[in-house]
Amino acid sequence: MLELFYKGGNDVLEVKLHDIGEGMTEGEILHYLVKKGDRVTADQPLVEVQTDKMVAELPSPGTGTIKEIVVDTGTTVQVGTTLLYIEAEGGAAASEDEPKRNEQVKTEAAAEKKTVKRAFASSFNRVLATPFTRKIARDNNIDIEDVTPMDPSGRVTEEDVYRFLRGEQEPQADTAVPEKQAVSDERALRQTAAPDEIPFRGMRKQIAKKMTKSLFTIPHVTHFEEVNMTNLLKLREELKAAGVSVSVPAFFVKALVIALKDFPVFNAELDEENDKILLKKEYHIGLATDTEDGLIVPVVHDADKKSIKEIHNDMKRLNEKAKNGELKPADIRNSTFTISNVGPLGSIGATPIINYPETALVAFHKTKKRPIVNENDEIVIGHVMTLSMSFDHRVADGATAVAFTNRFASLIEQPNKLMLEMI
Amino acid sequence: MVVGEISQERELVIIGGGPGGYSAAIRAAQLGLPVTLIEQADLGGVCLNKGCIPSKVFTYAAKKKSEMSHLQELGLPAVEGTFNLGQLVSYKAKVTEQLRKGVESLCKANKVEVIQGKAGFIAEDRIGVENGHQFDIYVFKQAIIATGSSPVWPKGMLAGSSRVLLSHEIFSLTDMPKHLLVYGNDYISLEVATSFAALGAQVSVLLENTADFPFDESVNKELNRLLKKKKIQVVKEASIQSAEETANGVHVTVRAGGKEESLEGTHLFAAGSRRPNVKELGIDRFGVEQTDEGFIQVNGNMQSSVPSIYAIGDVTEGPLLAVKAIKQGKAAAEAIFGGKPEVDLTFVPAIAHTIPPIASAGLTEKQARDLGMDIRVSQFALGSNGYAMISGKKDGFVKVISDASNDIITGIHMIGEGAVELSGTFVQLLEMAAKEEDVKFPSYAHPSFNEGLLEAVEGLIGQAIHVAPKKRKEIKAT
Repeated sequence: MLELFYKGGNDVLEVKLHDIGEGMTEGEILHYLVKKGDRVTADQPLVEVQTDKMVAELPSPGTGTIKEIVVDTGTTVQVGTTLLYIEAEGGAAASEDEPKRNEQVKTEAAAEKKTVKRAFASSFNRVLATPFTRKIARDNNIDIEDVTPMDPSGRVTEEDVYRFLRGEQEPQADTAVPEKQAVSDERALRQTAAPDEIPFRGMRKQIAKKMTKSLFTIPHVTHFEEVNMTNLLKLREELKAAGVSVSVPAFFVKALVIALKDFPVFNAELDEENDKILLKKEYHIGLATDTEDGLIVPVVHDADKKSIKEIHNDMKRLNEKAKNGELKPADIRNSTFTISNVGPLGSIGATPIINYPETALVAFHKTKKRPIVNENDEIVIGHVMTLSMSFDHRVADGATAVAFTNRFASLIEQPNKLMLEMI
Repeated sequence: MVVGEISQERELVIIGGGPGGYSAAIRAAQLGLPVTLIEQADLGGVCLNKGCIPSKVFTYAAKKKSEMSHLQELGLPAVEGTFNLGQLVSYKAKVTEQLRKGVESLCKANKVEVIQGKAGFIAEDRIGVENGHQFDIYVFKQAIIATGSSPVWPKGMLAGSSRVLLSHEIFSLTDMPKHLLVYGNDYISLEVATSFAALGAQVSVLLENTADFPFDESVNKELNRLLKKKKIQVVKEASIQSAEETANGVHVTVRAGGKEESLEGTHLFAAGSRRPNVKELGIDRFGVEQTDEGFIQVNGNMQSSVPSIYAIGDVTEGPLLAVKAIKQGKAAAEAIFGGKPEVDLTFVPAIAHTIPPIASAGLTEKQARDLGMDIRVSQFALGSNGYAMISGKKDGFVKVISDASNDIITGIHMIGEGAVELSGTFVQLLEMAAKEEDVKFPSYAHPSFNEGLLEAVEGLIGQAIHVAPKKRKEIKAT
């Protein structure tokens, strides 16, 4: 029950570029996986799109034949632009509608996409218009999705449809003007020299949204810990000499998974609605990764079922994909715990923001040579790394968090202990 | 084509006289099309004769029986004697017969030609109808397939047992089961469970391969609580391995939570699944496209891959519900007439005539969050509603979910008295894309259950009158 169904439309299915995540606003058409005249089935991938940070495939909304491809390969288009038309199966009557359809394509291109983006239109096929308004649109062979609503909430009215019919698309932006005007007036009073502007949209805006939500929802607590890396670095050198090269963070991920199994509350999600803390049974470790466009978090899935070598290979692969903007939506989904390895960049401490709705995050800082006191009470040179752990104080308390990082540190300081956890 | 074959000409032929088929026939007749309706059994189909209507006779009786103790609180005398199941079954027969006759006379009044017999396609434009020794052939311009679906026995169970029953059989029982095992995860299983429990049976629910009920999480939680209160045992994530009839009951082996256990009951009800009645129509031979499960593929006009053939209801994909069939039936008739109908099933309400009933439309809270929407959520307990107090129906609540970015209502879920009738308002609000203010503004009858909806919406912004301030849920925007 309550399943969502594909909305049975006319004989022609329109495939539009929709927001496939990370708040994208535009995408470049990399290449089409189908050509005009091809028969396609529902969910078959149609086109590869390069977004801010990912390569995504758009699936077919139904079964039919590719009627027309309207956007050329290599073009960058806004979200909401129609890419191609599919003649739905059994749609013999479609030819009659053809001229009108094509006119619409032109109107749309001319309208320059100032459309108010209809909320969640992409994944929940709801039409924000009364049944009567929808009927007026249907009776006039208009796809109501093409009508620009005056109401900023995206609700299409009869008047909007009639205006569309008369060929007047735009003035909708005017309604929002007074407020915006006031704000910019105030700015004008305060500023004399015009500042440089960076558009605040796409991934940057998405990051802002996520961070705000996390920090305003979760009471964060951060503590710091020092970890003696000497033995691990030695082990790594030994392995290297034996011809096996494994990065330090791969060991971190393995040790974290082991520690998380002992302290499952940090591999969890708080379900406030139902008064439950959901302890996850999967260990999907997110890797906060810096890219030219901003922060993205690819995920090593099922880290508990992978060897350190496999984790190393996964991390390497994900890092390269992130760098080249080739991450797929599946690569960045479902993390249960996130790490941020800022060590290579520097720093000795941070107060990281948790990757909502997870309950904790650990940042690893630079490993430095420091004088340390060894077991024989001698001062020697040791390799010491600091880490910062932020956790959700609603879900766990400080003592538990410290016990967790202690467990982690003991595994890294004596890496041979990792052997005991091998499955 | 056989040489010398005699065929009769018809404009529009509809195969199957269930709610979808007869609605299509009457709508087509209203539009002035000559219509022929072919039915092999009774007009009204499974819904009227074996499904929706008979089951509601039982749920209604159960509801009335559950009200007895409260009626005595009001000073009304206790009813003497035990519940007579046999009488309820004959009452059911009377109701279904009356309704069936109503459909028959409506068809007649609309000049719908009703032909009794079993239909099968011979070609894209002709159909044979078999009735005993008679076999007639009709050439048509358009046909609508509305043949519905049939039950499939669940794995590990055999047909023909008097103690293992499917949905069309359980409402014909003449002896009250002592201990009824209910196996399923849909609304009908829940209706059977709460009704038979109210009518006096001990009931255990084996929730088929799911961890919880199919509603919004808050509704599931309340439902679990109420079932527990009624001493209805619920076994979650259950999968029946085998079911055998014994001398005085059924012995069921069930796998749940990784363990196998044995259960004894006097009867077993299984919701089972259904398959579309397509095979015997012979449409494969001229390439009417079907899904892997055998459902006929249709476009927005209910037209199949063969332009002269339309299909509606359970033979097409989607929920197997009369409400869908009726909507599609009318749409198909309108499309054939040259209209531009639309069938949008986004807001088909999920309904269960349980005690208390459940109605749910739009997104659940979890679905909305999974879509990444910023939402507001509010829940109003019927315990704080005046009319609920009067009628002694204080269990349940109304829950409303709205989009925090534009105030538009995106989901309404109710468990409690009046939910089914109020669901009309829920779907109306959702189809109209109503905003919070659109619900808050109108005047609602006082006292009435309607006020539950009003207060749930007011609660979205912390303004429900009958909720103490400290209890007010924070406005949740995510």
